Amino acid sequence: MVDFARVQKELQECSRDIERSGIKVVPKSDGNLAHLVGTIPGPIGTPYEGGTFQIDIALPDAYPFEPPKMQFTTKVWHPNISSQSGAICLDILKDQWSPALTLKTALLSVQALLSAPQPDDPQDAVVAQQYLRDYQTFVGTARYWTESFAKTSSLGIDEKVKRLVEMGFPESRARSALETVGGDENLALENLCSG
Amino acid sequence: MEDDCLGTDDEFYTSDQEDDYSIEGLEESIDGLENDESDTQWIPPKGTTTKVITQESLLAAQKEDLRRVMDLLFLREHHARTLLIHHRWDVEKLFAVLVEKGRAFLFAEAGVTLVEHQDNEPLLPSSTIMCAICMEDVPSDEATKMDCGHCFCNSCWTEHFVVKINDGQSKRIRCMAHKCNAICDEAVVRNLVSKSHPNLAEKFDRFLLESYIEDNKRVKWCPSTPHCGNAIRVEDDLFCEIECSCGLQFCFRCSLQAHSPCSCLMWELWAKKCRDESETVNWITVHTKPCPKCHKPVEKNGGCNLVSCICGQAFCWLCGGATGRDHTWSSIAGHSCGRYKEDKEKNAERAKRDLYRYMHYHSRYKAHTDSIKLESKLKETIQEKVSLSESRESKNRDFSWVTNGLSRLFRSRRVLSYSYPFAFYMFGEELFKDQMTKEEREIKQNLFEDQQQQLEENVEKLSKYLEEPFEHYDEDKVLDVRMQVINLSVVTDKLCQKMYECIENDLLGSVQLGIHHNIAPYKSKGIEKASELSACWVNKVNTSDKDLPFHCGTNGGSTEPEHPSGSGSSYESGCSSRKRPRKEGPGGGFFDLNLPAEVVDRN
Ligand SMILES: [Zn+2]
Ligand SMILES: [Zn+2]
Ligand SMILES: [Zn+2]
Ligand SMILES: [Zn+2]
Ligand SMILES: [Zn+2]
Ligand SMILES: [Zn+2]
Ligand SMILES: [Zn+2]
Repeated sequence: MVDFARVQKELQECSRDIERSGIKVVPKSDGNLAHLVGTIPGPIGTPYEGGTFQIDIALPDAYPFEPPKMQFTTKVWHPNISSQSGAICLDILKDQWSPALTLKTALLSVQALLSAPQPDDPQDAVVAQQYLRDYQTFVGTARYWTESFAKTSSLGIDEKVKRLVEMGFPESRARSALETVGGDENLALENLCSG
Repeated sequence: MEDDCLGTDDEFYTSDQEDDYSIEGLEESIDGLENDESDTQWIPPKGTTTKVITQESLLAAQKEDLRRVMDLLFLREHHARTLLIHHRWDVEKLFAVLVEKGRAFLFAEAGVTLVEHQDNEPLLPSSTIMCAICMEDVPSDEATKMDCGHCFCNSCWTEHFVVKINDGQSKRIRCMAHKCNAICDEAVVRNLVSKSHPNLAEKFDRFLLESYIEDNKRVKWCPSTPHCGNAIRVEDDLFCEIECSCGLQFCFRCSLQAHSPCSCLMWELWAKKCRDESETVNWITVHTKPCPKCHKPVEKNGGCNLVSCICGQAFCWLCGGATGRDHTWSSIAGHSCGRYKEDKEKNAERAKRDLYRYMHYHSRYKAHTDSIKLESKLKETIQEKVSLSESRESKNRDFSWVTNGLSRLFRSRRVLSYSYPFAFYMFGEELFKDQMTKEEREIKQNLFEDQQQQLEENVEKLSKYLEEPFEHYDEDKVLDVRMQVINLSVVTDKLCQKMYECIENDLLGSVQLGIHHNIAPYKSKGIEKASELSACWVNKVNTSDKDLPFHCGTNGGSTEPEHPSGSGSSYESGCSSRKRPRKEGPGGGFFDLNLPAEVVDRN
């Protein structure tokens, strides 16, 4: 059984610190603390700058004694992240996990990974090869992906809120639903209907 | 205590029926020789270095190594275990690291942290600490500080241990703190886990204990099925063949049946080939056809599809119909089944050549293994013959030459039978194709086959003499048979030795890839029987060490009666219950085969 008391505390601690870290963790839907959504800002000075990246978090039953399962839902061009599935290759999410780590520290590590790719231990061989052989093209692609996938959710968000309000949902709920699912209108609608 | 140990060993030595190392046999034979033969080849049996480790003695075996490390480094047991598990129970390697890189490196690398306990001010029972895992304040007496100094609450530690044990990581459970490489104290793990998960605590202990077998290149489980419960530890040469106390003989390296002089790879390939033999038989049926005239199976032995039977009838291979002899590659005169065509003859020819080569070696290999089976029956009839002979009025009452000759027969027959798969690969193309020229190969093959043939002749002769009905012979004739058996025994032993020298030096030793084909050396006295590890030592330790983790009766599904490891007396009974009834040979004593004939004669 997931230690929900601890998860609750982690979420509180995380939201207290949001101004400084920029890292956000919220439940994917109400009432289920085993399935969360994390958000990290792209690190400054990298091709990911300005983007907001969504990470799907699933907590195994033995959490925190087993690592959380994390996966990018925002498409990202990075040697250690699958451009197809969003799977992350990071040691602390595997055998180097320690129960003393938290979701926030794990997300901080993921953010650090965005700043410092490790092409020798790639998750995505194509990206890793490009990173090693043609760094300029890599930077270009990564930036383009950031522009296309990591920013759309913030652009036009008011537009989407408006449409949901027109369907009869309260504005505050529509906005938070959109936020939770990373701006995907359909998912937000699903959430609103089920919640 | 010392005497007890020797006594126990003694029992084990003599517990086997055809045991040349018999201490009792030694005493008697020396008495018989009037103690005046000092220049014989006989080597007194010092304790064999190969040991059987039973469920009961596993703890003792492990403690031996733990003790060496604990004594040298002044460590507690769990630290010694952590070091040894890290170094896969290789004490020598561990000591080498200590000498080369120092104590600090050795410890850090393995995750051993030794605290001087100066910062260890006793926590007040009333105080609380904040557990960084569950993020709760807990009373300090419900928290545990590991050797590395990291302190968490007991329920978090327990959860952590449970997850790791279930995950199969019992041998190296690290501290929960991030980047702390320290291995948790096994006593803490055991203590905390047993409170809520007693079964899991047992599992943990078993993992630790069996690590001694599973992570140790000098120790292997006996491959018997159903499993006898034993493991075997060897001291020196890992390329050896061993007999477990359950009677199974096996190659220590690959755990398959004993196969020397084949290398492990050769044997693996050969065994697979033999398993596929049914296909081979199919091949034969596919590749013979009945003659349309006399109905005998006829092999296709030429390139074209016109075959002729030894009865003189020619027929078409493809349809089986009788034909005349007049033919070309594409047609047979007067025959028009339409199937007579040149097909993939090349491949078929090659496959056939390879198959016949295999069949040549396999038939000889099989003939000798079959003989081994027949000769095992001979063993019983020979005992009867010996008893009969002994009951007769005669000057000559010693028939140990019979049993010794029989043992020699078994041993050389083994060598002979495994020499065929060896030759199959040594001179075949599968393993050493480009390792020698065709001429070289031919010379070597001739040399080897020459030796093989000599051995074969003498083995057959020995077998023949042993089968003679000597119980009905008069005394002179018995003496003659006896002389022959003794001489042939010496000769076959020599020939086996020579064959191994040839294999090791001239054959495998001369090809580049030969180094991958280490073979278990020739043992004139037969495959070494592992002796049981004396468990006396553990008694001594057990009485002084109360919190032993392992009670053999309750672990590992052992069917043995429980021997509480703290009790010396019940341990003794555990030992003796394993003894098998001693089988006395004829005349009580055994001679070693290597005793020169004249020494034997004087008896
Ligand atoms: Zn705790
Ligand atoms: Zn620690
Ligand atoms: Zn066995
Ligand atoms: Zn082998
Ligand atoms: Zn015929
Ligand atoms: Zn022809
Ligand atoms: Zn035909």
